[in-house]
Amino acid sequence: MPLLTLATFLPILGGLALIVLPNRSARVAHGMSIAVTGVVFMLTLVIWSRGTIAGGFAQIEELAWIPAIGAAYRLGLDGLSLPLVLLTSLLFFLSAIYSARISDRAPSYVVLMLMLETAALGTFMALDGLLFYVFFEVSLVGMYFMIAGWGYEDRQRAALMFFIYTLLGSLPLLLAIIGLYLSSGTFDMRVWIDMPPLTGIAAMLALIAMLFTFAVKIPAFPVHTWLPAAHVQAPTAGSVILAGVMLKFGTYGLVRFALQMTPEAFAQAGQVILAVGVVSALYGAFAALAQSDLKKMIAYTSINHMGYVVMGVAVAALTVDLRIRTIALDGATLQMVSHGLVTGALFFLLGMLQDRAHSRDMSEFGGLLGRVPWLGWSFILMAFASLGLPGLAHFPAEFQVFLATLNTAPWAIIAILAIVVTAGLYLRAIAAVFLGSENEKWLEMRDLDRREKLVIVPLLILTVLVGVAPSWLINMIHTTMESLSF
Amino acid sequence: MERDLSFLIPELLLSSAAMLMIVAEMMRAARLALVIGLVGLAAATLLTLPMLHADTTVFSGTYRIDLISGWAKLILLPGTALALLMVRAEITGQDREGSVYALICLVTLGALMLAGGGDIMVLVLGVVLTGLGSFALVAFPRDDAATEAAMKYLVFGAVTGSVMIYGLTFWFGGVGSTLFSALGALDGRPLVPTVGLVAVIIGLGYKAALVPFHFWAPDAYDGAPVSIAAYLSVITKLAAIFAFAQVLRDLPLSSGWPLVIAVVSAVTMTYGYLTALVQTNLVRLIAYSSIAQSGYFMLGIVALGASSLAVPGLIVLGAAYVAMNLGAFAVVMISGRSLNDMRGFGRRRPVMGIVMVIFLLSLTGIPPLFGFVGKVYLFTAAIESGFVWLAVIGILNSVLALGVYLRIIVPMYQPAQDIDESSEKSPHPALVAVIGITALVTLGMGFLAGFLPA
Repeated sequence: MPLLTLATFLPILGGLALIVLPNRSARVAHGMSIAVTGVVFMLTLVIWSRGTIAGGFAQIEELAWIPAIGAAYRLGLDGLSLPLVLLTSLLFFLSAIYSARISDRAPSYVVLMLMLETAALGTFMALDGLLFYVFFEVSLVGMYFMIAGWGYEDRQRAALMFFIYTLLGSLPLLLAIIGLYLSSGTFDMRVWIDMPPLTGIAAMLALIAMLFTFAVKIPAFPVHTWLPAAHVQAPTAGSVILAGVMLKFGTYGLVRFALQMTPEAFAQAGQVILAVGVVSALYGAFAALAQSDLKKMIAYTSINHMGYVVMGVAVAALTVDLRIRTIALDGATLQMVSHGLVTGALFFLLGMLQDRAHSRDMSEFGGLLGRVPWLGWSFILMAFASLGLPGLAHFPAEFQVFLATLNTAPWAIIAILAIVVTAGLYLRAIAAVFLGSENEKWLEMRDLDRREKLVIVPLLILTVLVGVAPSWLINMIHTTMESLSF
Repeated sequence: MERDLSFLIPELLLSSAAMLMIVAEMMRAARLALVIGLVGLAAATLLTLPMLHADTTVFSGTYRIDLISGWAKLILLPGTALALLMVRAEITGQDREGSVYALICLVTLGALMLAGGGDIMVLVLGVVLTGLGSFALVAFPRDDAATEAAMKYLVFGAVTGSVMIYGLTFWFGGVGSTLFSALGALDGRPLVPTVGLVAVIIGLGYKAALVPFHFWAPDAYDGAPVSIAAYLSVITKLAAIFAFAQVLRDLPLSSGWPLVIAVVSAVTMTYGYLTALVQTNLVRLIAYSSIAQSGYFMLGIVALGASSLAVPGLIVLGAAYVAMNLGAFAVVMISGRSLNDMRGFGRRRPVMGIVMVIFLLSLTGIPPLFGFVGKVYLFTAAIESGFVWLAVIGILNSVLALGVYLRIIVPMYQPAQDIDESSEKSPHPALVAVIGITALVTLGMGFLAGFLPA
């Protein structure tokens, strides 16, 4: 059974079915959305059970596409993409459940969501350069319409900025892909990884092009400016997908393309990339500290967390010690998953808060913990996870990244300061929103209902599980990272 | 002789159809003329298929039956049929309806001659045949705007055409033959290749609406009926581009033509999109953006000598361009000519809205649509032939393109103004058919691009 293909295209097929369906009420649309994303989630669990192999890609599915130029439909998995695929299908499933209250043009909304899921899964599983680019770009289109159609006040401007910024960002990747193709005669990513076709100055130019693309996507300082605007204006599920899934395109590409396909150039530029990671981590934390808009604050902490991932990858390229390299890559990959779980949950919770209060400004709240204990305690737990408290999801990831950094490039450990800053900003946010004197405006606020609990609880459980017993996840990543060829 | 004629069956069919259409028009049977045209085009398309893999010439080397001319027929003939349907939807029942159909078929015949020309004389004949018909088509509405547009088009065409013929005589003088295949003898000679090259760029550049010979295009498109604008922006333009390919692949590289074309390409793309960014008239906006598209085609012309992907790229983008540009114009025929008419269009007509988004994103070059495949071919060809800077400019222009096309897409989903009656009218079935076909091609061929020429 071509499960990878099935999982990738089931969502878009569901969307098409919805378009031709005679009854397109909001109820039917959301029912379709939950059913399809649920089935896809099950499928990815089966894919997980079939496992990966060390030193290469598993579960490969191939089909001719444009034989004239050596482009084919190729899907496959390894320990880097599998966790991201699972994260993607989980977050889309939960987003579908959460979104069931959207009544404005629900069928179109659902079609876009399902199209995004296809694009996201395809991006992580594609083993063909051109195919990867196709999925990568389709996700932009989907997200643009999602923000422009269902976002908040200033959505048109934010959506435009997002689309133009990220398209400008992704075009250099196309150049790099064409360069890799012309020097190897195929678009097969496995060939590019096994025998990096570019050397010398060409490799460095390709690396610069790819770094630009992925830095915009991650986003790393100083090309992060689209992120706060897009996040604040996007609808809640859009923010969750953007932060939880689409930012990972950047870090995934950083490893899959930049590190694996131009390894020598990457090692040469390692210190610079490391510096970008450190600056992003610090900048994200300090910028988040300055926000009073809760959604913007979380958006900036994403820059901080993704900065650690960049650091991990850079350290892996710099070190000569295979053990340290594996630790760094394990940490970076785990950090991608943890960030998806934790930040996804935080955006869900803020969405729930905003649904009730129609405000995101922390100064407008106060003492909510007694009023809405489910919402409050969930937020507090996730905030603690986000600041890297031991026992929660970010700790094992960041610990490994810092361990490898300390070993390879001790100067970069100053990024650890960012953890103190994030701790401060989360405590301030918790104090402002959930503690202190109660604001009379919110006396009527309801706590989470059953549907909302259904969305949050899986993420709470997973956050604790990854924090306390990360080995099941790390093992999946570790097998591949140990034998990662570059 | 019989052999030569057998290779010309599609052209002969088309010209006989055009003659029959004129007879039908004399009998005031416009509908019959349309049917004859569609049948003729369909038959000519089908009869092209068997000779797709031929690579030969007829009539002493003056007319080429090769990959370019074969695929040009497969692209231009169905494209013309779609354009006929669009014209039908726009001018049904008007006076002189049948002559328009006949003229269109004659212009397409000229287009085929341009795409297959292997000789200076055939080239000139093609330019004249496409030109004369087009002037009359633009002037069809008989109002001030159309007359002015046709006049501009005619004067521009007459001047550039004469300059081209004058310049081409230098080539004839230089090699003593009018065949393109003889141009190799110019290798290493100073001046003579350049004079002819400039002449060709002026004459064909005018037809393909390359900057700086594009001035007629926005006026002509805006003055003519929308469907005629659609036809001209697609068929005559592609013909000129295929003619460029036929001429320049025989011109020695020592004359430096790739660099000249590369500069024209870069200027055309950038100027077209920058100007499109400030248009408020939808037809003019698409007119300027299709000027920019001509610049993209030139990427393939630049790479002709050095990359095996250049010709397939021209063919793929050509096919994509026919589908997406005709489709976009067809939607404009429903929505209205002003950018304001687009306000709320996507909410009033959801399906048409989605389809328009598909056309515009394909024109931008967003995957997995057909336009993207064509652009990838051409970018790859340009890089392979060493014009990395040109590919970079092309890629940067894709961002400008997005800006241009988003100017249409964004208002489509803004809340509608008060709905006027005309928007409630259901569109002509021929138009719906055209939009359906072009949308399927734009969407589907992105996935099936592997079946196009290797």
